[in-house]
Amino acid sequence: MTFTGAIGTVCMFPLRAIIALCVKLRIHPNVLTFTGVVINAMAAVALAVDRFPLAGGLMVLANIFDFIDGKVARERSIESAFGGFWDSVMDRFSDITLFIGLIYLYAELHRTDYVMIAAITMMFAVMTSYTRARAESLIPKCKVGFMERPERIVLFMIGAFTNRMAAVLLVIGVLSVVTVLDRIYFTWRELNRHPSPSTGAAGAPGAAGTLRPPRLASGR
Amino acid sequence: MMTIVKWPGRILWRAFFWTDDRATWQYDLWVIAILAFVWLTPPAWLHDPTASGHGLVGWVLSLIR
Repeated sequence: MTFTGAIGTVCMFPLRAIIALCVKLRIHPNVLTFTGVVINAMAAVALAVDRFPLAGGLMVLANIFDFIDGKVARERSIESAFGGFWDSVMDRFSDITLFIGLIYLYAELHRTDYVMIAAITMMFAVMTSYTRARAESLIPKCKVGFMERPERIVLFMIGAFTNRMAAVLLVIGVLSVVTVLDRIYFTWRELNRHPSPSTGAAGAPGAAGTLRPPRLASGR
Repeated sequence: MMTIVKWPGRILWRAFFWTDDRATWQYDLWVIAILAFVWLTPPAWLHDPTASGHGLVGWVLSLIR
């Protein structure tokens, strides 16, 4: 087993218990998703006021909710297309609020350089998700690039807990740029390899008409 | 000879044009590289506005000096 696989396996033990509890309490997955966003917003406030360990703790809590929502939906057999859409939209809110918290902090510290780094990183973090979502309206799958949402979130937590947010921002920024480029190249390559009439219509939004799974895979 | 020259390029391409899954040894390598950068780089090198302490490399450098 790999090092990261072992960490994932260990983390799954408490998460399974939480999932089972949520299923037993019949908590709706969309409520779990929204709760995650609210806690993430609190984490953003903690980042903004330079309370990094508190922000890290809140991020852990928020992402437990974020992680289990899809699993609870599956366990309760109430997966829905809207659930997947809601999850993706709330994920973007969560991502952006954390960056806004950091941008506020760096602005308060009069550090224009890091305000710009955080803003550019935020742009590419959002573009990482958008490029995949848009690509998958044209091609079946576009799961390339390293820096997806789970990696971003874990790095944010590491940055908060160990007080190394600048290094974390730089890593997320550089690898998000690479991920966006990967996805653009991959989509271009796939479209040129398998040109189809439905995708060739000047890339009109939603032109592909691809059937999507009911609950979208997380971690875009 | 050309194969030897091409190897670093292939490794870099594989690392940056990422198509592997999570929990693979390639993923572990990336994680280790990232954590090394985050934890070992002295915050002063990055002009980190919030970090405290010198980081592991900074600490080792201070010992050498």
